[in-house]
Amino acid sequence: MSAKLRNTLLYLLLTLFALTALIPFLWMALTSFKPLEEVEKLNPVPTVWHPENYRKVFEQISFARYYFNSLFIAAWVTFLTCLTSSMAAFAFARLQWRQRDNVFRLYLATLMIPGVVTMIPNYTLMVKLHLLDSYTGLIVPSAFSAFGTFLLRQFLLTIPAALDEAAEIDGANKWQLFWDVILPLARPGLITLALFTFMGNYGSFFWPLVMIKSEHLRTLPTGMLFFDSTYGRQTNLLMAASLMNIVPLIVLFIVSQKFLVRGIQMGAVKG
Amino acid sequence: MTTPPARLQNSRRARERRDLWVAIGFLLPNLLGFLLFTSGPVLFSLVVSFSNWNLQQTVPFRWVGVENYVQMLHNSEFWLYTINTFYFLLGMPIAVFGSLFLAVMLSQKLRGIVIFRTLFYLPSFTSGVALMILWKSLYNPDFGLINAAIRHVSDLLHLGITPPEWLLSTKNVLGLDVERVAVNRAQWGMGARDAIIIMGIWMGIGGNNMLLYLAALTNVPQELTEAGELDGASSWQVFRHIVWPQLAPTTFFILVMSFIGGLQGGFEQARVMTNGGPAGTTTTLSYHIYTKAFEEFQIGYASAVSWALFALIFVLTLVNWRFGNKEVSY
Amino acid sequence: MRLFFSITLLFLLLLSVVAWRIQPKMEQGGKIPLVWVSDDNPARRDQVALFNTMYPQNHLRLDPGNGAMEKVIVQSLGGVGPDLFDCYDGFQLSAYVRSGVAWDVTEELKRLNMDIGAVWEPLQKYVAYDKRVYGFGTNIASDALWFNKDIFDAEGVPYPKGPWKWDDLVKLAQRMTKRDSSGRVERFGFMCEWWNWLHFVYQRGGQVYTSDGTRCIVDSPETIAAVQFLHDLIYKYQVVPSPIEEAAMATQGGWGSGVITRFGAGKAAMALGGRWWLCTLRDYKKLRLGVAESPYSLKRVFRAYGKATLINRHSPRREEALRFLTYQSTKEYNDLINSQADGMGPVVGYTYTDTFLHNAHFPEEDQNAVWRETALHSQADQISPFVNGQVASRLITKQLDLVKSNQKSAAEAMHTAAQQINEEIAKMLEQDPSLRQRHAALVAQHSGGGKL
Repeated sequence: MSAKLRNTLLYLLLTLFALTALIPFLWMALTSFKPLEEVEKLNPVPTVWHPENYRKVFEQISFARYYFNSLFIAAWVTFLTCLTSSMAAFAFARLQWRQRDNVFRLYLATLMIPGVVTMIPNYTLMVKLHLLDSYTGLIVPSAFSAFGTFLLRQFLLTIPAALDEAAEIDGANKWQLFWDVILPLARPGLITLALFTFMGNYGSFFWPLVMIKSEHLRTLPTGMLFFDSTYGRQTNLLMAASLMNIVPLIVLFIVSQKFLVRGIQMGAVKG
Repeated sequence: MTTPPARLQNSRRARERRDLWVAIGFLLPNLLGFLLFTSGPVLFSLVVSFSNWNLQQTVPFRWVGVENYVQMLHNSEFWLYTINTFYFLLGMPIAVFGSLFLAVMLSQKLRGIVIFRTLFYLPSFTSGVALMILWKSLYNPDFGLINAAIRHVSDLLHLGITPPEWLLSTKNVLGLDVERVAVNRAQWGMGARDAIIIMGIWMGIGGNNMLLYLAALTNVPQELTEAGELDGASSWQVFRHIVWPQLAPTTFFILVMSFIGGLQGGFEQARVMTNGGPAGTTTTLSYHIYTKAFEEFQIGYASAVSWALFALIFVLTLVNWRFGNKEVSY
Repeated sequence: MRLFFSITLLFLLLLSVVAWRIQPKMEQGGKIPLVWVSDDNPARRDQVALFNTMYPQNHLRLDPGNGAMEKVIVQSLGGVGPDLFDCYDGFQLSAYVRSGVAWDVTEELKRLNMDIGAVWEPLQKYVAYDKRVYGFGTNIASDALWFNKDIFDAEGVPYPKGPWKWDDLVKLAQRMTKRDSSGRVERFGFMCEWWNWLHFVYQRGGQVYTSDGTRCIVDSPETIAAVQFLHDLIYKYQVVPSPIEEAAMATQGGWGSGVITRFGAGKAAMALGGRWWLCTLRDYKKLRLGVAESPYSLKRVFRAYGKATLINRHSPRREEALRFLTYQSTKEYNDLINSQADGMGPVVGYTYTDTFLHNAHFPEEDQNAVWRETALHSQADQISPFVNGQVASRLITKQLDLVKSNQKSAAEAMHTAAQQINEEIAKMLEQDPSLRQRHAALVAQHSGGGKL
């Protein structure tokens, strides 16, 4: 098989898959411009385009507010997760202490615990602490991740031990070692973790669903359900809202694309 | 094994002791949160699973021993939902091999490959809720895009296919009965569960697993593949005998994580798309736990079910580990 | 790295200040705020506005997003509950009372001279528990038969008129169902919502529980016959759309989607529904509506539903919230509900007026006497203290789903449902000794008396 033929075939196949991934989005985009009567009709392109659907999203629900909340909460969680996870990973990867690996295994085991197990007690905890219906209640319980500790530990293990010794000879203490030597080298790992955490929390549905009561604290996924309630399904507006919901993630993904693959390459897989 | 000299051992001990306090300092922020929001709740839910506790305080609190667990095992609902949970794993092999296939294609040196990568990844970072609502309309038996396409193809080729009723149907490709743990020929076909699986494959195939494979593929030493090609092996043989073994740790990691994720899943789909129906066929254990705890307030019972789910995941992960590690070692 | 983290932290703290600052203020110009959890029927807006004009010292706000009972209870126990919330049946009332969320307002209502006896009888069961009163009625609904006058005129068929029987309905519905040349139904003769299956059960003389609530009896011949009838309307007489046919019908969207909008769009000649449908149907300007009493089988009764409003016992503003209950007993509120057609106002007396029978804004609505008559013959759902109503309704819904999609016969399904619910009762009794005693006493009493 000639290289040219092979490449053409590959492109064909890739395009086919890309189309499969894309068509539902295309449908989403087209629906978002349709009038409500046409939503459930089979014509893919709206007969009359309704760009004002996007304005209506902002009019009917406090969409800007939900946007802010989603970004705000995800940003805080990401920051806290990166900070606490990298510190813990440092303790697990660069410090020698007894029972270290056993404690780490315990951490790992908790990854297997279904979220629903901790959800009920966490919920009651929030009730008792009077943190229901607050930003704090949405941010704090998600900010301590065993997954993050795991991911970063794998990263830190790949950094040569000689660096620690050199730093120690230069008279640096552990705190300085952590901030000035290790963390800068762990940047790809941190970015990967940040991206995962941000995406996970930005789209999180369950916890805000049970935790939040006030309209002004709702996040995008829970807030958007307004357009899918039994009292008035407005699929066109829902699709418009969903599209707007995706935008920050696409930007984020393209920006961090380079780090992401490299990050995963270095971490995660090496057991 | 030889004993290290006493002096060295002593200094190591001293170092361990010194580091311990530093380590505790570094661990503390994460550990505190971890104790408060993970281990504490886990123990708490274990304790609660032996009580009749209900959040709503309508029934006087009482310890009931293993009664919740006994009730659970005698409850046909529990077994049906367990089967549903496993049924949803059926899509996993397709999703994993699909991810591998895409990754292999993306690892070719072609122009514009980054664009394809971004397109493939698109579904997996879109908010799940938005996508599920989207798919709900795609699956509409009459005016959904999917059935329109099926009807179109069927008419074109004169196949006379009746398209499935997707989310409205209790049918499934294994022909599982709705109310008993049994096979029933009348249930054979495509229905809500299959619809959710297909959507899951679409959402997951170009996602993190693909990226993991992509990363692993670039890690395969080029000398190895080149040596294979020089020996006159076909590209399939090179893949099968040189690349695939190199991917084993990644495959193992992906399988373990997919199992864990898959068994815990199904909540959002049930909540957003089907309400667990029709006739409970899309209710997974995690959605069942949610309804029991937050709609019917039986927190004790719900905790028992969530511990059963945990045990299930734990055992399966151990099994995975046993078999998986063998594969990794060659 | 240190710098990067510090800057991020600073930025986040700044954002937090912003988040704090854009928090909406609870106090509205010195008025005491009240939050009412209810559904988002557009009619609510005027109801809230009227309250705010009549009681200027308060500012009432509607919260439609937290209507589920479990949310109200848990949020109230967690200290973030609403001040007022709606209660949709006797089971919910018992849950609200037993969890300590509902405030006992018996003395307060007495002091305010409000008589719960003035409210429609079925609604009283939504607020009275163990001889104490916990709230006031919000509105009442019961179903009658809507018909599309244009379709009847076009077919040259006289309008239906009650009292009449199920058999008459089947014949008429068959007459009104229109098929195209391929046999595909273009217009259905009749539509109804399966969630209101009890309407049919009551008319056939069936019940969900024995009168003392000790046992579930949805496997009784009467109940089975009623469910079978619902099934036959779809599959035997083919006058009602099946779930598949239903999904195939595009709806307009808007409040109260489903059967209402399908009927509004002329997809059916007749439909069973409440007066509250007008909240949506009045927007269908070209639609000419008629109402007849719902046909029945053995008993001329109609299922009552609707809601009452209760006060959160843990609310710091509960005394203020009493004003809302007072509001619901006023002529202004009842006239508003009656004129909006959001069901009917809670107080019976205000429907015996000329303005109720002949609404000047909607002169074509000449059937208000039918709605009043229907409500007078309506009966509230019975509840059992021995089973979690939420569980029971989930079990029954699952079986009804199977019947509706023609996978199971009514008899089989109802036998399974009864068996499963009775198992639930047994479980509840096992877990709660005091409940067990009560149950045993009731069973002994009735078997001694020789009747169930």
